[in-house]
Amino acid sequence: MGFLRDRPIRQKLVLIIMLVTGEALLLASAGMIVSDVLRSRNDLARDLEIIAAIIADNSTAALQFDQAPDVAATLEALEAQRSIVTAAVYDEKRALFAEYRRPGTSRPIPRQPDRGARRARFGDDSLALFRPIMLDGEEIGTVYLESDLSEIEESVRAQSLTVLSVLVISGLLALALSSGLQRLISRPILALAETARAVSERRDYSIRARKTSSDELGQLVEAFNDMLSQIQRRDSDLQSAKEELEHRVEERTLELRQELLERHRAERELAQTNVELEQSNKELDDFAYIASHDLKEPLRGIHNYSVFLMEDYADKLDADGRAKLETLTRLTRRMEALIDSLLHFSRVGRVDLAVDQVDLNDIVAEVVDSIGINLKESDIQVRVPRPLPTVRADRARVGEIFYNLMTNAMKYNDKPEKWIEVGCKEGTRPPVFYVRDNGIGIPQKHIDSVFRIFKRLHAREKFGGGTGAGLTIAKKIVERHNGRIWVESAQGQGTTFYFTLDQGA
Amino acid sequence: MALLRRTVLLALLALVPLVPAALLGQRAASPEYQVKAAFLYNFTKFVEWLDARPGERSPLRLCVLGNDPFGETLDGIVFGEMVGSRPLLPERVDAGEPLNSLRSCQVLFVSRSERARVREVLESLAETPVLTVSDLQGFLDAGGHIQFVMQGNKVRFAIDQAAAERSRLRISSKLLRLALSPSEVR
Repeated sequence: MGFLRDRPIRQKLVLIIMLVTGEALLLASAGMIVSDVLRSRNDLARDLEIIAAIIADNSTAALQFDQAPDVAATLEALEAQRSIVTAAVYDEKRALFAEYRRPGTSRPIPRQPDRGARRARFGDDSLALFRPIMLDGEEIGTVYLESDLSEIEESVRAQSLTVLSVLVISGLLALALSSGLQRLISRPILALAETARAVSERRDYSIRARKTSSDELGQLVEAFNDMLSQIQRRDSDLQSAKEELEHRVEERTLELRQELLERHRAERELAQTNVELEQSNKELDDFAYIASHDLKEPLRGIHNYSVFLMEDYADKLDADGRAKLETLTRLTRRMEALIDSLLHFSRVGRVDLAVDQVDLNDIVAEVVDSIGINLKESDIQVRVPRPLPTVRADRARVGEIFYNLMTNAMKYNDKPEKWIEVGCKEGTRPPVFYVRDNGIGIPQKHIDSVFRIFKRLHAREKFGGGTGAGLTIAKKIVERHNGRIWVESAQGQGTTFYFTLDQGA
Repeated sequence: MALLRRTVLLALLALVPLVPAALLGQRAASPEYQVKAAFLYNFTKFVEWLDARPGERSPLRLCVLGNDPFGETLDGIVFGEMVGSRPLLPERVDAGEPLNSLRSCQVLFVSRSERARVREVLESLAETPVLTVSDLQGFLDAGGHIQFVMQGNKVRFAIDQAAAERSRLRISSKLLRLALSPSEVR
């Protein structure tokens, strides 16, 4: 029945009805034909027995008086009975007395009667019969008759034709009836299917199927409609929930947009401030450069003239005058050093970095070289516990950082065994470098001001002097490399300066 | 059975030349009369005596008038046989007996020896239910019912149905169909 599964329900119903009807009709027809065959055979056997009885009765006298021609004449009359093929009469001695053959046939006739075959016996294509001829209770001979089955065949043929016509007519009738009647079932189902399709296509849950009957299909329609009502209710709930959610999202979006606008404005303001700040920084740098550059010129003149005075008029001045003049010369030298530092600081802030791969081991070695004499004088030990990495940085400026930090570490140390340790902390990103000493340390209250320019914590000539710009310049260089510099110190025990270089390291 | 017996006798007769006459007995019939004796007996089966009561038990007499040509053959055929409910009884009637005695017969065979007084005998039995049979020429003309004739070596017979009916005898159509018409034997 697999082929049926995908057929429309109408065809299924019609086919089912037709199959059942056809099967019933076929069975009935087969039954009719079988019963007809059986009846025909019975009829034929009975007819044959009647004919045999008549012939037997008619043959008694002829047998008794040995009149074979009379019997033969009687048998000739069988020609009217077309179905009889052969016939014979045997006498008391069971010898053939008279015989008959239907014209045109040459079927053999038994030479002797078969006493066992008293009743009609069906062969493949014939019905044969032996019947004793009785007279006054005595058997005086035997009649033999053989009939073909054409009568039965004809009857079956006629019957089959009738049955076939009945089959065709009732089949057509059943088709017409079932085509009409199947609508009783298929129409509500198809209507339901159509409704279901409309609902699912249009997503319209207000559509309802029409109930046309009160049977199971009607119940199905009701159940379907109930289901649709539930879905409709849920759908509307869902719709309102969705609308509420959308509303909320809209509100929130507005709020967010507002916040974003405000943030943008703040960022713009910040950028503006930054630009202004940079501008003022640059102006400050420019001012510092121009001022110091322009200041150097007259300072050079003052210095030269104070030297000329000392050379040409030393003998004309008293000791106090000479001392004052020497102080003037010293002050101009100091002034020049300060201005040079300022210029240098200004340049570090303005000139672009020449970034390259820099091996810090080389740098530290160079710095140690350049301050080597001083290190020897102070008996200072320089330690580099682990090899330093290679970083991307401006070679000259990074050297300056190490130079400034290491000279400071060397200068501010009053211990008998002095040391400086240069290294890199492990496992940090970006790498944190440090320069550590066991020097005098920095008091906690001054920690924050060590990077201020020209800030000196000690008397001018104590610990080797200096302009007080070294740490400021180091900080500037670190910042130019996007790094950070900070200090940790314990007074009297030592100081550690840390810094990072984030210039593509 | 009758036919069988007849045939057996015929067969025995065929052996006659080989068997001493003494063994067959003095009164054995000729083959022709063997057949005629059987026919005589067979006639009783196709004739109805209309006056006989249903279930009649008295013997049905089969009489031979004059010189008996059948001998023991007839007795052999008829002995113990019944026609309907009546036993068959063969009887010989001498020529000298009164004709009245013939009225008690149901079948009467008139022997050739009685040729001279056939008419007299038949007239005495006029309209009496006695089936008269003979092989005398002109028997039917004389008022008899059945006359044997020879056709070649075959025994045939003619029947005067009208005469039989006058004697209140009904002869079966089956028998009549086998019979020659009276005109054929004149």
